[in-house]
Amino acid sequence: MLLKTILIFLITLLGYSEWLLGTSLIQRPIIMGTLVGLVMGNLPAGIIMGATMELAMVGAVSIGAYIPPDLVAGTILGVSLAIQSGADAAAALTLGIPIATVMLALNTAIGTPLSLIYVHKCDRDAENVNIRQFNIDMYICGYAEHVCGIIFVPLAFYFGSSTVARLLNIIPSFVQTGMEVASGLLPALGFAMLAQMVMNKKVAPFFFLGFFLVGYLKISTTGIAIFAIILVSIMLIYQNMSKENKAEKADSAGGSGFDEF
Amino acid sequence: MMSFNIHADYDKKITKRDLIRVFWKSIPLEHAWNYERMDNVSFTYALLPVLQKLYPKKEDLSNAMKRHLEVYNITPYISTLPLGIAAAMEEANAEDPEFDTSSISNVKMALMGPLSGIGDAFFWGTLRIIATGIGCALALKGNILGPILFFLIFNIPHYIIRYVSTFLGYRLGSTAMSEIGQSGLMQKVMQAASIVGIMVVGAMTMDMVHVNFITKLGAGESAATVQSLLDGIFPGLATLAVFGITYWMLKKKFNPLLIMLISLAVGIAGAYFGILGA
Repeated sequence: MLLKTILIFLITLLGYSEWLLGTSLIQRPIIMGTLVGLVMGNLPAGIIMGATMELAMVGAVSIGAYIPPDLVAGTILGVSLAIQSGADAAAALTLGIPIATVMLALNTAIGTPLSLIYVHKCDRDAENVNIRQFNIDMYICGYAEHVCGIIFVPLAFYFGSSTVARLLNIIPSFVQTGMEVASGLLPALGFAMLAQMVMNKKVAPFFFLGFFLVGYLKISTTGIAIFAIILVSIMLIYQNMSKENKAEKADSAGGSGFDEF
Repeated sequence: MMSFNIHADYDKKITKRDLIRVFWKSIPLEHAWNYERMDNVSFTYALLPVLQKLYPKKEDLSNAMKRHLEVYNITPYISTLPLGIAAAMEEANAEDPEFDTSSISNVKMALMGPLSGIGDAFFWGTLRIIATGIGCALALKGNILGPILFFLIFNIPHYIIRYVSTFLGYRLGSTAMSEIGQSGLMQKVMQAASIVGIMVVGAMTMDMVHVNFITKLGAGESAATVQSLLDGIFPGLATLAVFGITYWMLKKKFNPLLIMLISLAVGIAGAYFGILGA
C-alpha cells in the first residue's frame, strides 16, 4: 500500500508537470488512467476507465475564459479507488467528477494566490537582474498553483480506499446507473464546445456529413479523419483549378496586363 | 508563392544555436501561467538566452526583462513564433539606439489574439480531437495502443510546428512582418483544418454520445422501446437532439460547469424514473 501510494504520488507529480513538459497532454485522463492502471496492477481497467473519463471530459480544456476541472486529481483518485474497490468505469466517473470539481475550487482559492506571490518575486528578480533566482521562482510558481492537489491526492488515496469501498456500497444503484447515463451525455458538452469554436455557415454541413456517415455507414473515427483529409484535398485542388480558369479568362478577355505574381 | 526557406541569414548577433535554446526553453511556457499576467514569466524565461546575449549591461537587461513581463497569452504550441519575432526585434533594438522599444510590445500584442485563435482552433479543436477519436476507440477496448497513439498523434505535429515556428518567427521579425498575412496560405490551411476538425467532431458525436430511452410502449410481445422508434426515423435522432440542446445552452452563455451538472442531474433522474438506461 505504501509503495502504491508513493507511485501514485509520482503520477500526481507527473500530471501537474503537464505545463512544465510542454502542455503535451500527459495530464489527460486517457494517459493518467493508463498509468494508474499500471500501478494498481490492472492495466486494461485503467485504460478503459481513462478513456471513459477522457470522453466525459473531452470539453475540459482552457479555451477562452473557461477554467476546466482538475483532471489530474479527478482521474487519479477516480480510477485508483475504483480499481481498488473492484468497481467499473461508471464508479470511476462517480468518484472522479466531484473530486475534479472540488479540486478546481481549492486550486483557485489557495493555489492561485500562492503562485501570484512568485510572479511578483519574478518582477523583483528582473529588477535586480538576478537570473538564477528568476529561474527558481519561475519553477516554484507553477507548482505552487497545484500544491493542494500534490498533497491531497496521495493522502486521499492512502486513507480513502476503505472509506470509498464502503461509500460505493451505500450509494443507491440508480445513482450509479445515472452516472453511466450521464457518461453518455457528457461528451455532447465537449463536442458542442469544440463545434462552437470552429462552427460557421461554411463548415456546418461537414458536421452533419461526419455525423451521418457514422450513423448510417458505421465508419470509425480514423476512417472519418482519413476521408475528411481526402475530401479537403479534393476541394483545394478544385479551388485552385477554378482560380486558374478565372485568371485565364480575365487574361484573354481584358488583357489588363497586370501580373499578379 | 511563399518561399519555404524558413532560415534567416544570421548575420547579426543571434545565431541558429541561440534560437534552438529559445525553442527548448519555450517548452515550460504554461508552467508559470497565472491569472494576473498569464504566460508573462515563462515567456521571459524562454527569451532569456537571447536577452542575455544582446544586453551585456545590467540596466538594459533589466529593462528588457520587464518589457516581457507584461501580460502575454498564447497557445503554447505556437509560442515560438512570437518568441522568434521578439528575438529579432530585440536584436534590432540592441543595435539601433533610436529603436522604439514600445513597438516590440505592440507587435507582440497585435499577434496575440489572431495567433491564439488559429492555435486554439487547430491544436485543441482539430488535432486533439483526431487524437482523442483514434485513441479512445482503441482504449475503450482496453488496448494499450489507445493512449500511446493519442500521445503520438498530438505531439509529433506539435513539436515539429513548435520547432519550425521559432525560425519562422525570427525570419518574419527580421524581414517583413506582413508576409504571413499576404500569402493567404495560412487562411487556406485554417479553412481546411476546421473542415477536417468539424467532420471528426460530427463523427465522434454520433459515435461517443449515448442516449437510450428504455421506456416501453405497448405491452407484452409487441412492446417496443421509445429508442427503437426514434432510431426508426433516422439513426442518431436522440443523440443529435442532446447535442443540439447542449449547443444551444452554450450559445445562451450557460457556464460549462453548470451544463455538466445538468447532464449529471438528467442522468440520475432519468435512471431513477426508469426513462434512461445505459
